[in-house]
Amino acid sequence: MDEAAEAAGLKLGQGVTEARACIPETEVIEATPNADRAFLNGLADWCGRYTPLVATHGNDSLFLDITGCTHLFGGEHAMLRDILSRLFHMGLDTRASISSSPGLSFALAHSGQQKIVETGHEAEALTPLPLSALRLEEETLAALSRSGLKIAGHLIGAPRAPLARRFGSHVLRRLDQALGIEEETISPRLPVARFSAERQIPEPITGEDDILALAGQLAATLEKSFDAHGLGGQMFELALFRVDGHVARLNVKSADPLKEPARIARLFRERLAGLHDDLEAGFGFEMIRLSAGLTAPFNARQRDFMQHGKPDLPIADFAARVEARLGEALIHVPAMHESHIPERASRLAPFSGATPPAAATLPALIRPVRLFQYPEPVEAMAEVPEGPPITFRWRRAQHRVRRAEGPERIEAEWWIDGTDTPPRDYFRIEDEKGHRFWLYREGLYGRTPLPPRWFMHGVFA
Amino acid sequence: MAQPALAKGTLCALRQTIARIEAGQSHTETLEARGENPRLPLGVEAFDEALSGGLMLSGLNELRAPFTTDCGAASGFALALSTLALERRDMPGLVLWIGEAITGREAGYPHAAGLLNLGFEPANLIYATPRKMEDALWICETALEVSAFAAVILEIRGNPARFGLAESRRLHLRARASRMPLFLLRQAGEEEASSAHTRLRIEPAAAAERLRPDGVPMSGTIGRPRFAVTIEKSRNPAPLTVLLEWNAHERQFSLARTARPSRALEPALSRTPLSASAERPDRAQTVGSIVAFERAS
Repeated sequence: MDEAAEAAGLKLGQGVTEARACIPETEVIEATPNADRAFLNGLADWCGRYTPLVATHGNDSLFLDITGCTHLFGGEHAMLRDILSRLFHMGLDTRASISSSPGLSFALAHSGQQKIVETGHEAEALTPLPLSALRLEEETLAALSRSGLKIAGHLIGAPRAPLARRFGSHVLRRLDQALGIEEETISPRLPVARFSAERQIPEPITGEDDILALAGQLAATLEKSFDAHGLGGQMFELALFRVDGHVARLNVKSADPLKEPARIARLFRERLAGLHDDLEAGFGFEMIRLSAGLTAPFNARQRDFMQHGKPDLPIADFAARVEARLGEALIHVPAMHESHIPERASRLAPFSGATPPAAATLPALIRPVRLFQYPEPVEAMAEVPEGPPITFRWRRAQHRVRRAEGPERIEAEWWIDGTDTPPRDYFRIEDEKGHRFWLYREGLYGRTPLPPRWFMHGVFA
Repeated sequence: MAQPALAKGTLCALRQTIARIEAGQSHTETLEARGENPRLPLGVEAFDEALSGGLMLSGLNELRAPFTTDCGAASGFALALSTLALERRDMPGLVLWIGEAITGREAGYPHAAGLLNLGFEPANLIYATPRKMEDALWICETALEVSAFAAVILEIRGNPARFGLAESRRLHLRARASRMPLFLLRQAGEEEASSAHTRLRIEPAAAAERLRPDGVPMSGTIGRPRFAVTIEKSRNPAPLTVLLEWNAHERQFSLARTARPSRALEPALSRTPLSASAERPDRAQTVGSIVAFERAS
């Protein structure tokens, strides 16, 4: 509903037919809640320039916790003016208020007032406001209105016990929250980084090199805080605030805690290279923020002097660089687990720095060097039902078995798979040409209506 | 006056170069003479001689599996070579295996327990799975700067156009500059001109039977892995096929006897119906032949 519709007397909740009957030229545009939601989230990202604590509420409201941030923008008045004028230039019609409690700010903004309420004057600011601004449910509002309670002032002086009995305790809670008697915390949309550094850029930048140079400078600022705490960052986020309000976020991770600006900037260089042209600079970025999301104690190590003139790259740096450029879950280490099911006994775990996974103690049975992720069905012909196959067809090629070792029966793990999963009989097989395979027969003859099936699970060296 | 003197100097230098080339001293040999290009002997005389001392430990060596079914053998051979390269180092190292996304899906992923069977410590392996060929090449090039790697295995499938002569030359030079062995593991690929120093064709060969502690072979068992290794490209022009057996406990290769296992290729019906049980003593062989089974229920 826009202003014209409101002026013509249309109301929210009215049927389309009724509205058309009132004003025939009514134009109907379907609501797109998801797009609205995405827009609000984008706006919340944009507000990240004022404070890291931004929460969304409903479909149309944002809470900004600006405690301790106002002096950066020249005080509350200047900040409010700045926010409103920037949003106005983006083409948005907004109301905003500053007060000591989220409830009161919400009530003020939603009743069309834009003001700054000093601490101690909450009650007088709230008194004239309608109850609908208190974030109450429709039924409660209707009940209150039937009792002749229309504005917040009616509730402030009223006896509390009967109110709570008639309308429920949440009415009083909302009132107390608005008055600042009861503490209310907003839940920020994004976690707040412990270390962050940002810079406003008067002349918007677009070039990759400029971004990286700035990231390096910000990293140098962070290094001082890291040094003071003896920490290093493991996850870094570079937030790029574009002139038109879009916020791009680049994330890099490192298994080793980092603090050297050059190494951090290097990771972002790989990340930018991996993005190719996905990062649209548009008319440029006007603000840039570097934050360290995850930190760990930094152990200073002395570098080896004896490099023999060879270029050297620590393994953690290598992994971080690869994952920054090409995406995560790309570097693995084989890890062993206590299980008899082959695909569970050995898995590829993501690389996680210096500590190698502990080896599980399992009987040393012969296992294939390469295991298929999904066992592949084969058509096998066995001489005796429970014996190894004589010939089998795998990937459209016929193999004649020369020798076979087995069976090695592996029962299903009933505590994971349930009791219905059939056991597997594994055979080590060598075919005429010397290829060594690991085949298994799933199930036993005579137990199930369907005959057991054969699968190829791996190849030996 | 300076110009003719300079030209004379250049001419002299060129003459010396030609003289060196004619005397059979190529660039690689001068490197070797300075002890900068070590070789990896496999401990099998016939093989090492054909490769004039072993595989080059810095630079690109290609291991080609002609078919996908040969990949088990080829990867086993590559891991065995990496084990040898790891043992030669005086400090602990790691092996990086870069497998383009399709290679793992086609031929399987490395299995930790199987690596242990080959004598390769799984904690020493890092396995990277880039999605594209370009990414794989980039990782490979970056990895050559990491001194913690004792060897890099780059696995590709077929003969991709994006890995041609120029790319292999670049990798070979990088690997040689950082003195790192780089094994190109080619799945189901044709012979192709590349900058690799040597190209070996790896195929599996029938394994010997496993020996009982008293040295008697157990019939029907499958023993240590055997590879039929053919030298397809090297400085020695004659192609040579060697049967190599890998001993995972001793971590060394040996020349396999070409004798066939005792029970090779018998007609299917005359064989004993029971196979050797896995890793356990063979069960007693049944006397006579089974004509019919009892009903299973």
